[in-house]
Amino acid sequence: MEIVALWTGWLLVWALGVAVIALMRSPPATPVDAGEVPFLIGCGWFLGQFVLTLWMRLLSAAGVPFGVMTIGAPVAAVALVAGWIGARRSRGTGGIAGLLDGVQSAVRSLGGSSLGGLRRMAWLALLGWIALRLAILLFEVTIRPLYPWDAWTQWATKARVWYAMGTMVPFAGAPEWFALPTGAAYFDAAPHYPATIPLTQVWSATLLGQFDDALVNLPWWLTALALAFAIYGSLRFRRMTPLAALAGAWIVLSLPILDVHVALAGYADLAMAAYLTLAAVAWLRYADQRSPADLALAVLLSVACVLIKNPGKAWILTLVPGVAAAFLPRYRLAFAALFVAAAAIVAFVLAQTSLTILGYRTGTGFRMPWRSLAEAYFAFANWHLLLCGVVAVGLLAWRRLLHPTLAPLTITIAAGLVFLAFGFAFTNAGAWVEDQATVNRATLHLAPLLALWMILAFHDWSHAPSASAGDN
Amino acid sequence: MASATAMSFDRAVMRKGALIFAGTLLACVIAYLVHAVPGAWFPHASRATWNAHALALTRGTGFLQEDALVITAPDPKGIVLISVVTDFRSSDYPAIAWDVSNLGEHADVQLLWRSDSRPDRLNSTAIGVEAGRTLPQTLAKNPAWIGRIVGLALAIRDPIAQPVRVRGVVAKPMGMFEILGDRLTEWLAFEPWNGASINTVTGGADVQDVPLPALLATIVAISSALVLLASRWQPSFRRPAVAALLCGFFLAGWFVLDLRWTWNLLRQEPATAAQYWGKDARAKHLAGDDGPLYAFVEKARDVLPKSPVRVFVAADADYFRGRAAYHLYPHDVYFSPRGTALPPAGVMRPGDWLLIFLRKGIQYDAAQGKIRWEGNETVSGVPRLVEPGAALFQIR
Repeated sequence: MEIVALWTGWLLVWALGVAVIALMRSPPATPVDAGEVPFLIGCGWFLGQFVLTLWMRLLSAAGVPFGVMTIGAPVAAVALVAGWIGARRSRGTGGIAGLLDGVQSAVRSLGGSSLGGLRRMAWLALLGWIALRLAILLFEVTIRPLYPWDAWTQWATKARVWYAMGTMVPFAGAPEWFALPTGAAYFDAAPHYPATIPLTQVWSATLLGQFDDALVNLPWWLTALALAFAIYGSLRFRRMTPLAALAGAWIVLSLPILDVHVALAGYADLAMAAYLTLAAVAWLRYADQRSPADLALAVLLSVACVLIKNPGKAWILTLVPGVAAAFLPRYRLAFAALFVAAAAIVAFVLAQTSLTILGYRTGTGFRMPWRSLAEAYFAFANWHLLLCGVVAVGLLAWRRLLHPTLAPLTITIAAGLVFLAFGFAFTNAGAWVEDQATVNRATLHLAPLLALWMILAFHDWSHAPSASAGDN
Repeated sequence: MASATAMSFDRAVMRKGALIFAGTLLACVIAYLVHAVPGAWFPHASRATWNAHALALTRGTGFLQEDALVITAPDPKGIVLISVVTDFRSSDYPAIAWDVSNLGEHADVQLLWRSDSRPDRLNSTAIGVEAGRTLPQTLAKNPAWIGRIVGLALAIRDPIAQPVRVRGVVAKPMGMFEILGDRLTEWLAFEPWNGASINTVTGGADVQDVPLPALLATIVAISSALVLLASRWQPSFRRPAVAALLCGFFLAGWFVLDLRWTWNLLRQEPATAAQYWGKDARAKHLAGDDGPLYAFVEKARDVLPKSPVRVFVAADADYFRGRAAYHLYPHDVYFSPRGTALPPAGVMRPGDWLLIFLRKGIQYDAAQGKIRWEGNETVSGVPRLVEPGAALFQIR
């Protein structure tokens, strides 16, 4: 029964997100864009999950204790109302028909009926392979109690307390905690970490009626599933074929380090990666289509990045130059140059200045741990061939990278890589790269976006007009 | 990846592409074997193995446990020496592989041997250590590796922070098939979840001569370069076909890696099921790595008041401090995330609690009702729950 409640509660949250995005998009364009439905389903999860945690913060601030009804009833009501209004708005315009067509087409396409021969076989095989991966991960998530270190020293610590207390009691650092009376504040290894991820575990526990160390982590698996939908939809937006888009979703979902963060749930890095990726996609889509729905989605997902993990504040800044280039494509080269100059100046200044930013110490001088980086990216099994592919596509398609269709994403990726490189080379995080403690988790934040860029840049190169392939 | 509809799947070009990929794969394997095979490619000798039971611990302290010789301490001079009597032709076995794990990062390990050509002379060479394990040592070009080898030994200079496990030693003919088999064994070695999994996935054995991702990346890169070169002169290699080939090479490499990863995940499932399947939340905790700690905390929770109180946690291991705190929530717990130090006694108040689990250096004076720890910190307290290695005190 608890399991049913858990699934129902989370699917309700997912439905909330889908309904809200559908409402924002109504009446939808007719015909519905290829990828619209999977993107809506994928993003719906992330929006719903984030809105849920905002609601829980609000309840806590208002002194209303957490409970299935106090959290779930308004979620269900908003989901229903948003769905109903969306349907009504669309009825007059015929847009609902377009949306339903999109849903039907998406369901039909699952069987690969539009594909013929070998491509259909490849589609079904790939779908089966992805399903197997998700089944394995679901088993781990629902059976294994919290396992990785930070999960039980700095994330679920808050969830356990908030679930037991029925509200968000504050967490404080050691000196404050020593001075405060009992229960005024709690302590864990990272008292100032954001609340979003623990709040998702609180909702799981509330649905279960107990803090089950394994089942509270169901959102991690749902995040992987939703990310696959969203990646598929994002690639379909860019005129990729269904099979190619599915391969793209597989590429992201099969990344070993991403799978580990699903199977050994409890860290915020997976959510950080997913929200950052979709925030970038939503911003670039808004720049392209100027739909208020995309703007709202982009803003919400960006805010979520900041509230998921502290480095989210910096990650969001890395989207700025790429998004600016998307809004003003004529000046994209200027933005790229400006970004390079700004990055160089910031790197130079911070390298000389001893500061602590987001928990990282600067002023350590330049010390890039090349060997450890190479091991992490190319020798160990963390990334399959992702980083090799990124380098290869960069070399192959270099003339196209700042073309108007690719420049915003290229600049975004460049900003992300510069941010990572700066962290590894100019801060104390370099030491954590050397022992392989941080390098892959930090890179994971950018990984789905890297995969998207790699696929789109290759797609762009493969379709570029030229006499022969050698003419790059 | 490149849109399939726009690509020309010319069968002849695809066949050429497949040949290029297969040829590159073969060339890479042959190049590796030329580099790695130290002697005959098809030797007559088969590998010779001496397991832990055949080994003699000449210097240092240790004991036999199942299939391993467990070394707990070096001798007073800081040396561990393990030896084995052998009798084989050095030319048949150009490499020696000791199976040693848990070595320190800076351990100095030497392979020693005697041969019948110079029985009075003890020969030695340094053995590399990576990820706490000894690396196989190729001796084919060592001038002292001649005649019949009548004895092998391993000398370790290491403080032995944790028990070193020696499973045995293997003399290897290092033929082509053995080397390829070793690589396959390394790639397919089961990598169960461990504390470092959340940070990195090794991809098989801890120590690998050739990492599979690097090998596949090399093959994909060379094949792709050849196709791009061919596209300069071969009119049939137009952009769509080239893109399809490059995409195919990349996805083939990716799929091989994903196959290995999926196989590893599938082998993890029975291990996870054996530990947790069919258990409720409490039973899972008891079945976890910290089961004894959880059992003690469960008893402590029965002793503690129902409403949250301040509890200080003391344990030598970071792991136990963090886990104890986690199990104690929603009590108002303090634990040091890193380092064993307890806070000054002055921050503890009457009514607070102190939970101790496997922590050296804390003394209780029953006569005075005082708890004392490093730095002569003292606080009054009453034991409320005491078990071997663990205790719960209420601060007075």
